[in-house]
Amino acid sequence: MRAFLSSKKAAPWLFLSPVILFALVFFVLPVVFAAYVSLTTWDSLTPPRWVGLRNYEYLLTRDPVFLRTLWQTLYFAIGTLAIGVPLALVLAYAFSRSRHQGLWRVLYTVPMVTNIVAIGFIFWFVFRQTDGLLNRVLGLFGLPGPGWLTDPGLAMTSAILVFVWMELGRNMLLFAAGLGSIDESYYEAAKLDGAGHWQLFRFVTLPLLRPTLLFVVITGFISGMSYFTLMLVLFPGTQGGPSRAALTTGQYMYQMAFEDLRMGRASAVSYILFALVSVVTLIQLRVMRRGGVDAH
Amino acid sequence: MTRGMIRVLGACSGTALLAGALSAQEARTIQVATHYTQEQAAPLLACFEAYEAEHPGITIEHQQTAYGDFLQTILTSRVGGTAPDIYNVYSVWVPQLASAGVLEPPPAGVADFITQNYSPATVGAATIGGQLWGIPTELSIYALVYNRKLLEQAGYGEPPRTWAELREIAQKITTTNDQGNIDVGGYAYGTSVAEGVHPFYAQMFAEGVAPFAEDGRSTNLTSPEAVKVLSEQAALFADGITSNAITVDNFASGAVAMQISANWNKFGWQEAFGDQFADTVGVAPIPHDGGEGGTMLYSFLWAVDATSDAKEESWDLLSYLNTPRADGLSCTGEMLAGMGAFSGNTADLERMTAGGDAFDKAYVEEVTSGRAVTQPNIWQAAEADRILRGYIDQAWAGSLSAEEALASADAEIQAILDEQP
Amino acid sequence: MADTSLPAAAPAVAALAEAAAGPPVRPGGRGRRIAWAVLTYTLLTLGALVMVLPFLDMLLGALRTPAERLARPPVYWPRDPQWGNFVRVFDELPLLRWLANSLGVTAAITVLQILTSAMGGYALAKFHFRGRLGMFRFAVGAQMFPFFIFLIPWFFILRYFPLVGGNNLLGVGGMGLLGSYAALVLPFAVSWYGIFLMRQFFLAIPDELLDAARMDGAGEFYIFFRIALPLVGSGLATLAIFVFLYHWNEVLWTMTVTRTAPDLQTLPVGIYLLRGAFEQEATKSLQQAAICVSVLPVLIVFLALQRYYVASVTSGSVKG
Repeated sequence: MRAFLSSKKAAPWLFLSPVILFALVFFVLPVVFAAYVSLTTWDSLTPPRWVGLRNYEYLLTRDPVFLRTLWQTLYFAIGTLAIGVPLALVLAYAFSRSRHQGLWRVLYTVPMVTNIVAIGFIFWFVFRQTDGLLNRVLGLFGLPGPGWLTDPGLAMTSAILVFVWMELGRNMLLFAAGLGSIDESYYEAAKLDGAGHWQLFRFVTLPLLRPTLLFVVITGFISGMSYFTLMLVLFPGTQGGPSRAALTTGQYMYQMAFEDLRMGRASAVSYILFALVSVVTLIQLRVMRRGGVDAH
Repeated sequence: MTRGMIRVLGACSGTALLAGALSAQEARTIQVATHYTQEQAAPLLACFEAYEAEHPGITIEHQQTAYGDFLQTILTSRVGGTAPDIYNVYSVWVPQLASAGVLEPPPAGVADFITQNYSPATVGAATIGGQLWGIPTELSIYALVYNRKLLEQAGYGEPPRTWAELREIAQKITTTNDQGNIDVGGYAYGTSVAEGVHPFYAQMFAEGVAPFAEDGRSTNLTSPEAVKVLSEQAALFADGITSNAITVDNFASGAVAMQISANWNKFGWQEAFGDQFADTVGVAPIPHDGGEGGTMLYSFLWAVDATSDAKEESWDLLSYLNTPRADGLSCTGEMLAGMGAFSGNTADLERMTAGGDAFDKAYVEEVTSGRAVTQPNIWQAAEADRILRGYIDQAWAGSLSAEEALASADAEIQAILDEQP
Repeated sequence: MADTSLPAAAPAVAALAEAAAGPPVRPGGRGRRIAWAVLTYTLLTLGALVMVLPFLDMLLGALRTPAERLARPPVYWPRDPQWGNFVRVFDELPLLRWLANSLGVTAAITVLQILTSAMGGYALAKFHFRGRLGMFRFAVGAQMFPFFIFLIPWFFILRYFPLVGGNNLLGVGGMGLLGSYAALVLPFAVSWYGIFLMRQFFLAIPDELLDAARMDGAGEFYIFFRIALPLVGSGLATLAIFVFLYHWNEVLWTMTVTRTAPDLQTLPVGIYLLRGAFEQEATKSLQQAAICVSVLPVLIVFLALQRYYVASVTSGSVKG
């Protein structure tokens, strides 16, 4: 037995055994469990009642809030990318051409090491309408001071801005690395062909940066779609911002599960959201790969 | 697996397992969960110590959670099997908690104590379908609270009696900064669910209509009175008399002239205004048009968890905490008095109001006049309130008319009410 | 596992390394160069201001007196800085306990993930066995599953975990693992991405090296711990830093399982749940002071170790 355990045949399985055990208890079981629960009505205190697909049907056809949260979630996920990616790209371009990179790196990565609750609180104060830092600064320039966190039309945008702020340093460094890995000879060759700055960017930088871009967009999208910790802190006590304007599907699910004890319906929400994220991710992969450059 | 089966299995195995050593109950610890801060609960904590001294072997722990997280905390801990032994719960949560089997009905002795020592209205708030679920504690009443000084500066010696008067006064007081944001607000609401929904309910009662039907199976949210109330509220926003930039939290800064608030805020305002409290904070009935007027009151109750290992000890502790002492208030009463809140205990309430100031008297007047009506304990009340708050917000923001908002809220809440057995 | 932002970790490390090493590139002639430089530094400075000002705003907030907060209009620059607030918060809140919990839980998760990722990645990289491809695909596919799917099931799995926390063999009777540190650590013991990443690192080790050790009669565990593992030290460091940073920020799960176990709460969760303690405007300076205090330790460590952090990573980013 001892001999077998230390043999090359048994070794991989021994090395994998903690992972396999974990996978069974904390992956396979939960996935199956959640699928089962999503087909029941269950308050977790009394036995579950089988309802078939009724939770899914309710969410997709009758629930007046669910679809709205889906849109808001998409708005958040796409908004953070639409603002964050170009901004990070521009800054990375400047960063990779600057001196004192150590200093810039420190300044831009401070949010990376700040806990998310603190970030939420910091911006809760910065965004205060009458006396917050942001509106005070806007006031200096004679600009109006909107209700960043209290105006339903602005609430989600404010959450997006904070998220972009939080992720900016990381994305900037990612792009800077991507830019750094582009060989100078490509630029030299293009310049010989008479390419200007814009053309260099459009026809050299962008295509060669595609792997990094793909990476940032896909991981950003997946995390954006299930994100709501920030909203909990930015909109305290409001259950998703003014008029539920910053209520994302993730938070909606959390409320269902742990406040209204609708475990079945909440599990159904998580499956629908998962399906949506998977489909969009696959589409993104397809679209972005069509340029002929594979992701690493 | 059925509940009964779980109980039986639990009973069979509970003693034998080594893991039993990890269970919290073995040490006879009674965990008491409330939403009161350590500061507010100080008199209660002192009583815990006295009780521990009298009952060797019993330890009492206080768990505080912010009000906004309290229901979630109770439910999560109950679902997780880490529930405390004693909860101080909001009466409207009782239907949900009781139907899920979370609460333990009081034993006969305690039930008698409650019916003999508490006013019928508060006993009613702790009763669902004829079953009593706990010992009523905090009585919170809504009324119009106003800043006397701001009103006087604007030339008004008296608080408004109708909504039109309120508008006029509020408009005169409101000032804005260069950016057009309100510096001093004539009127304010709050951001939390309760801070939006409770004033709305109170105003509905003031207009003579309860927000929900007597049997708790339908709403009155589409009634003309409800629409009138919400339209008036929305008009305050539309006319820039109030905004989301100024909230009820700003009252303590002297930046709000009027709002509909509950009496328990007294504690914070006394702290903020100091010796100016009596000259600054005024209380009046909720402005309304015609009729007798009215308002809403709600209560909390002490309840015991159905799975507690120390039910008997818990009820004993609760009786101890709620029996008026020879020299005055009960422990609970003392804590409530310190906060400026009222007790449902008749003897406690008498003592409190005997020495009460104008602030207290104005609030108690709402109860003794019969204007204050107990908030109905409807099914899934927390969820219903959250939905309503969402639509009230939209009406305030002007993205929905009052009729549309209330019609949508009614439809959504009706669907939930229809779920009840 | 299921930590969707983790995959971003390794390239970010590579980024740090390369950004540190890469030479600045400056195109164009002299006039143009100056114009570019002005643009570049204006942009970077503006961005840096936006990064840093919110922190200063919070610091100023922590120093205001209650009267300054209540004044109309409110005072922005504190005239009588309340440095004492930073001491007071330690009396009012169990900050050190939260800090210790955060450190302990995050360290435990990091160690476990490093270990399981290294073992799993090693098995997948260096052995040929039936099911290897299946296991690999599983690890890649599992990364697609977002955290929220597991939230509810994990809660109940820990609750009904058999034979612990007063539970019997069937998992009933007590509270299982909820209310223990295990509840905060176990669900994150394995990272699919970590396995994937470590596999990449192990692939770079030549098989001949390991076979030679086998010829000398070395056991498989000896080979793994004494030969293979030291060779991927930089990979382990890469993973460790980012697992640590990620879990240091974890709020949702910890909050869900520690609501009624205040002794287990971590720094971010404690601060989040205790916002109720400073609800009044007059006491908000204390809230802001507590937040400053929660941010500082990591920030200082990060700034102090940044050089090593980048250096330790530079050596390992060859095959990220």
